[in-house]
Amino acid sequence: MAKRRSPARLVVALSIAAVLAVFLLYTSFAGGATPSLRPSQLADHPGDVSLAGRVVGPVSGDARGDGLRFTLRDIDGTATVPVVYTGSVPDLFETGRHIYMRGELRNGVFVAEKDSLVTKCPSKYEPKES
Amino acid sequence: MEAAALLLAAGLTIALVLFVARPFLRDPVSRADRSDEDDPAAAERLSLLEERDRALAALKELEFDHRTGKVSDTDYRELLRPLRREAAEALRALETKEAGQRERVRTNVRS
Amino acid sequence: MPELGRAALVAALGLILYAALAGGYAAFCRRRRLLDSAANALLAGFAATGVASLVLFAALAGRDFTFEYVARGTSRELPMGYTLAAFWSGQAGSLLLWLLVLTGSASAAVALNRGLVRDVLPWTVPILGAVAAFFAILLVFVASPFATQAAPADGAGMTPSLQNPYMMIHPPMLYLGFVGLTIPFAFAMAALASKRMDERWIVATRRWTLAAWTFLGFGILLGAKWAYEEVGWGGWYAWDPVENAALMPWLVATAFLHSVMVQEKKNMLRVWNVVLVAGAFGLSLFGTFLTRSGVINSIHSFTQSSIGPWFLGFIAVVAAASIALILVRLPSLRSRTRLESLVSREAAFLYNNLFLVALALTVLWGVVYPLVSEAVRGVAVTVGAPYYDFFAVVFGLPLVLLMGIGPLVAWRRASLRALGVSLLWPAGVALVAGALLLALGAGSSPAGLVGYTFGSFVLAAIVLEFARGTRARKALGGGGWLASFAGLVGRNRRRYGGYLVHAAIVLLLVGAVGIGGFSTTTEARLAPGESLEVGGYRLQLLGSDQRRGANAEELRADLAVFREDEQVGTVSAGKNRYLAEQQTSNEVAIRTDWLRGEDLFVIGDQFNEDGSVFLKVLVNPLVNLIWLAGLVFVGGSLVAMWPDAREQRRLAGRLALARA
Repeated sequence: MAKRRSPARLVVALSIAAVLAVFLLYTSFAGGATPSLRPSQLADHPGDVSLAGRVVGPVSGDARGDGLRFTLRDIDGTATVPVVYTGSVPDLFETGRHIYMRGELRNGVFVAEKDSLVTKCPSKYEPKES
Repeated sequence: MEAAALLLAAGLTIALVLFVARPFLRDPVSRADRSDEDDPAAAERLSLLEERDRALAALKELEFDHRTGKVSDTDYRELLRPLRREAAEALRALETKEAGQRERVRTNVRS
Repeated sequence: MPELGRAALVAALGLILYAALAGGYAAFCRRRRLLDSAANALLAGFAATGVASLVLFAALAGRDFTFEYVARGTSRELPMGYTLAAFWSGQAGSLLLWLLVLTGSASAAVALNRGLVRDVLPWTVPILGAVAAFFAILLVFVASPFATQAAPADGAGMTPSLQNPYMMIHPPMLYLGFVGLTIPFAFAMAALASKRMDERWIVATRRWTLAAWTFLGFGILLGAKWAYEEVGWGGWYAWDPVENAALMPWLVATAFLHSVMVQEKKNMLRVWNVVLVAGAFGLSLFGTFLTRSGVINSIHSFTQSSIGPWFLGFIAVVAAASIALILVRLPSLRSRTRLESLVSREAAFLYNNLFLVALALTVLWGVVYPLVSEAVRGVAVTVGAPYYDFFAVVFGLPLVLLMGIGPLVAWRRASLRALGVSLLWPAGVALVAGALLLALGAGSSPAGLVGYTFGSFVLAAIVLEFARGTRARKALGGGGWLASFAGLVGRNRRRYGGYLVHAAIVLLLVGAVGIGGFSTTTEARLAPGESLEVGGYRLQLLGSDQRRGANAEELRADLAVFREDEQVGTVSAGKNRYLAEQQTSNEVAIRTDWLRGEDLFVIGDQFNEDGSVFLKVLVNPLVNLIWLAGLVFVGGSLVAMWPDAREQRRLAGRLALARA
C-alpha cells in the first residue's frame, strides 16, 4: 500500500535532528576544540591548554632526558614564557619557528605534554622571500 | 634561440586559430541553426520511453531478485502486480501518443 | 624561453575566454557552428596550456635558474625525478597543473560526447570555459610560473618531506580527481540551463564522476602512504585540514554515485543529485582554497598569500550561480515519484546518503571552526583527531552496516521478514567472526571489534550476492561456474564492480582498525649493543654512522631485528640533513612481515654525542591492508566504469525512436 505523504521528508528531518543531537552530546562531554592560547593569555587560563607561539633561543637540554628548555614568545607581541618539553622533537624545530603544543603552566614555567610539539611546515607556496 | 621560439609560437598560434575557425571555414553557408532537439513532442516521447524502460527494467530486476532468493514468493507476487500495472500504463501512454501523432499527420495531410 | 611560456598562457587565456563567451552566446542563440568553434577553442586552450607546461618542464630539466620558480623549488644536487616533480611543488606550478588537467579533461569530455554536447547540453562548453578562465586569469595576472631573475649560483632546493617518489604521482592523481569533478558539474548545470533533464545527462555525469572519484580516492590513499613512510609518526591519516580538503568532495561524490542509482530506477531525488554534484565541485574548489591561501594551520600550511581572496570570490560566484539555476529550475526538477517504504533499497540509499553527507559536513565543520572561532570570538582553537575519530565511528559504522544490508534488500518495499531471512546467513557469519575476534583479544578496542563484526557481515553479504547471482545465471543459461560468473559480472558491471569497491572499503576498515586500535609501541635510549623489545620483536643497536647521499648527509642507526632469539633481518633508521635546503627530515625504517601481516616501524628520534640513539618503535598490525584496499578499490571501479556496448545501443535506439 503506497503511502500518500512521502516518509522521505520525515526521515530527513529526523536525521538532521539526530545529527545535531549527537553533535551537542559530543561537544558537551568531550569538547571538540581546544582553545589555542598565546603566552600573554596563559595567566588567565589555568589548567590544560594548547599554546602557540614562536621559539626564542637559547635552546638547551635534552628532550629525551631532563627536558628541552626554551622560551616561547607571542607571535605578534612581546610576552614570553619559559617552556620545558619532553618527547619527540619534529625535524623542523628551531629558533624562530612557529610551534604549538599542549600542557599547563606550573610555577611560571609551561610544562608541555609529552610528544605534543607540532611545528608549522615552512611555506611551500609562499611568495618570494628576500 | 629567440627567433626559433618566436617562429614556433607564431606557427602554433596560426594553427590554433585555424582550428577554432574550422567550423566556419568548412560550412560557410549560414545554416547556423542547431539540431531540432528542442522539439517538445520528441522530448515528451523520450520521457515516456524512459518511463517504459524503467518499468520494464524494474520487472526484470524483480524477477532476478526472486530467482536469486532475495525476494520471497509471497513478496514476489505482491510486488509484481503494481510493476506490471506501471509497465502497462507506460506502454499505453506511448501508444496514445503515437496514435495522436498519426492522427495529426493525417489531418495535416488532408488539409 | 620564459617569453614562450608567458605567451602560451596568454594565448590559452584568450582561447578559453573565447570558449566561455562565444560558447555562451552560441548556447543561448542556438548557433551550431559557433558552438563547435567554442568547443574547438577548449581543445586549443589545452594545446596552448600544454606548450606552457612543456616550457616549464624544459626549464626544470635544464635547471634553468633564471626562472624564479625553478630556483625556488630545486637545486643542482636534487635528483632529476624530483626536479621534474617540482613542477607542482609550488603555487604557480600547481595552478598550471590544475589548468592543464582541467583543459585536458574538458577537451576529453567535449570530444567524447560531441553529439550530446552539441544537441543536448550546449552550455557545457561555456561553463567549462568559465571555470578554466578563472585559473588562466590567475596564471597570467596573479601567479605566473614564468617570472625571471638573474640566475643565482644554486637553487633553494626542495622541502625534504617532498623528496619522495610519491611526490611524482600523488599530486597529479589528486588533481585528476579534484579537477575531474568539474566535468559532471558542467554537465549537470548545462542540463539545468537547457532544461534537458532526461536520462542522457545522468549517464554522462555518472561515468565522469566515477572516474574522478576513483582518481581522488586513489590519490588520497597515495597521500596517506606518503605520510606513513615520509612524515613517519607511525600513523597514516592525521585529519589534517589539507587531507580533509580531499576527503570532503570524495564523500559527497560517493553519496552522489549511490543516489544517482535511485534516480535512474525511480526518477526520484533529482534535485538532491544536482545539489550533490554541485556540492562536490564546490568542495573541491574550497579544498584547494584552503591548501593555498594560508588561512589554516596545517602541516601543509602556507603563508598568507594574495591568492586567497581570488578563490573565495570565485567560489562565491560559483555557489550563487548554481543555487540560482537550481532554484529557477526547481519546478521541473521536482519528481512526482515518492518513497514507498522505509524498508527498501531506495530507503537504504537515502540513509547511506544522509550518513555520508553528515560525515562530510562534520569534517567541514572541523576544518572551518577554527577560522570561524578566530574571526568571530577572537579565540584561536585547534580541532584535533579525537573530534574526527568520534564522528568517523558514529557515522562510519552505520555506513558499513548499510553496505551489507543495502544489496540484500529489495526495491520498493521489502517485508521485514523477508529481509530477516536474507540477512540471516551473513549475520550469523558476522557473529561467529566477532566472537572469535573477541576470544583473540580484539575486545581491547570495542569500536574496532564492532567494526570488524560489521565488516565480516558485509564481506559475507558480498560473497552471498556473487554466489546466488552466479547460481541463478548458471540455472538460466547453463555453462560452467566460471562462465556464469563472468557473464553475471559482465552483464551488470556497475553492481558487481560496486560490490568489489565495498569489499575494498572493508579491507580499508580492517587495516585502519588494526593500526588504530591494536598497535603497540616502545621507546628507549640505546647504547650500541643494547636492545629493546616490542610486540614480540627484539631490536639491538649495532651502531650508527653517517653517509653521504645524493644531496644529503644521511645519519643512520643500524639495528638487528630478532624474533624469538633468531635474527630475521636488519633495519636502518635515522635522519637526512639536506645541504641546499638546510633542513632535516625523518627517515623511518619499515619492515613488513607479510606472513604475520604487520609492520615494524622504527623511528630514529635522537642521535646523541656518546653514540647512543633514542628510538621509538611501533608494531602496526594489518596496516598493509589499507594499501591493498586501494588496489581493490581501483579494480572494482574499473569494472563498474567499463563501457557497456549494450547500454549505449539501448540509449541510441531510444533516442532514434523518440525522434522518429
